[in-house]
Amino acid sequence: MRRETQNILLVLLGGALLKISFSGLYLRYVQKSLLPLLIAAGVIMIGLALFAIIGDIRRGKAAEDGHEHSHSSRSTWLMLLPVLAVFLISPPALGGDVVNSAADTNQTQRSRNLLGELPSGDVIPLSMTEFVTRTAWDESGTLDGRRVKLTGFLLRADGETYVARLAISCCAADARPLKVKVIGDVPALPDEQWVEVTGQVVPKSANEKNSWVPSFTVESFTPVAEPVEPYES
Amino acid sequence: MTITGEIRSSKRRSGPPRLKITSLEVLCGILVLALLFQSRLVDLLDVPKLRTASTVFVAICVQAMPFLVLGVLISGAIAAFVPASALRRLLPSKTALAVPVAGVAGIALPGCECASVPVARRLMQQGVAPAVALTFLLAAPAVNPIVLVSTAVAFNDAPMMVVARFVGSLLTAMVMGWLWVRFGKMEWIAERALARMADHTGRSKWAVFAESSRHDLVDAGGFLVLGGLFAAVFKTFVPTAWMQTLGGQIVLGVIVMAFLAVILALCSEADAFVAVAFSALPLLPRLVFLVVGPAVDVKLIALQAGAFGKSFAFRFAPATFVVAILCAVVSGVVLL
Repeated sequence: MRRETQNILLVLLGGALLKISFSGLYLRYVQKSLLPLLIAAGVIMIGLALFAIIGDIRRGKAAEDGHEHSHSSRSTWLMLLPVLAVFLISPPALGGDVVNSAADTNQTQRSRNLLGELPSGDVIPLSMTEFVTRTAWDESGTLDGRRVKLTGFLLRADGETYVARLAISCCAADARPLKVKVIGDVPALPDEQWVEVTGQVVPKSANEKNSWVPSFTVESFTPVAEPVEPYES
Repeated sequence: MTITGEIRSSKRRSGPPRLKITSLEVLCGILVLALLFQSRLVDLLDVPKLRTASTVFVAICVQAMPFLVLGVLISGAIAAFVPASALRRLLPSKTALAVPVAGVAGIALPGCECASVPVARRLMQQGVAPAVALTFLLAAPAVNPIVLVSTAVAFNDAPMMVVARFVGSLLTAMVMGWLWVRFGKMEWIAERALARMADHTGRSKWAVFAESSRHDLVDAGGFLVLGGLFAAVFKTFVPTAWMQTLGGQIVLGVIVMAFLAVILALCSEADAFVAVAFSALPLLPRLVFLVVGPAVDVKLIALQAGAFGKSFAFRFAPATFVVAILCAVVSGVVLL
């Protein structure tokens, strides 16, 4: 591959990284904390390519150096794939497909987020992670009788309806599903519709037999747009 | 052991200008076609499984790129600013003794496996013995503080897991280094891996730094994407739900988790969170998952094949796989 082509590919790939960074789309793929690294990587890629392009032009020897050579450079073409994927397809955040095929629903850690009292108030907004952790590990039943607001997407499987969400620790490849079973009337909303649900946990409904999926008596469904951060962390 | 020879890029004079299709025209053609058929492409991928796979693919690439960039910058810096003699002075002259030093030095590279491949290759090019560079390659992604802290967070119920992972991974890296001292052959490593870059004379150190980094990035980037592609396909299409039923079958559990580590190709900073989720399995198979993952996985095999050649990767990866399982089991039996 010619040097010019390599440099253009680097600019495109760096541009793709910057595009998802500044548009916020990166949150579909990786954790929030990666943002500065992503921007730095994009800038450095473009910088290295521009440095080479400018140097070549000034020396006027790019054409001389740019013979198609060494088989290793054929693989460089593959760098076009993520570029095309980002600019043309822009894959959506993971959703129901991952939750349904997962082996490890609602695996939470015993002591994580468990410390501390629930805030007071009529309706407590909780992350799915905290809600599921408390239902699985908190034997004192702090959630019982409290009204809680959860955000997730609807999912229907085996005749039941669930509200589900994914949590990631690094990138979407390590997504862990979280879900709660909905008890009560479900409005006619499509699968994977994002909703805010308010309701109460059915005490002691999460156990090892049902993979720690708690039941949730829902009082209200509010359809919402997909959150900017689709995953919990 | 030093470098086999300095290979300078032969500069062919191109003939009289002719209408010739080069990679530049091909690239433009692909971009135009992709734009024309964009909606067709999007429709084609509108199947849940394919959507999932494409998201995971982009996620792996996006997550790994910053670390690859970090790796090539370090590699470029070594090429430009660290003379070969300084490295030689830094390391014990006896290779067998330099191997553990390289293993412990891995603690200092805070990145995942994508960063360590270009650095290891650069070390070889600067005259570091391959065994030493390979030990560093295996140790760095597994024993650095970020990985150990994330393991501690994930396994806060079982703090010995961190120690067992550290020992297992370091042991794997050192055993592989010593095995290379004993059995390794230079000719397995592709010549281009050891060839130094074209002549640097007359260019500033910063120019060398930038050009080496750019060269490494272009070289490794494609292989990283290839590895991400494999990992995304495996992750999406290999069902894992049945794994929870393995339960107490420890030998089977170890083998299955070892293979899973290879095909999932998780970032070593995140794999502990996935391992902790396989709660139906005992700790030992999950430790194997954590030790094998940063040492051998499809992304890493692709990167190694790119950096050192196929004939190297097809020997090194299976050997590392077996050694990593054994070291993890030893470490787990003693420590857990």
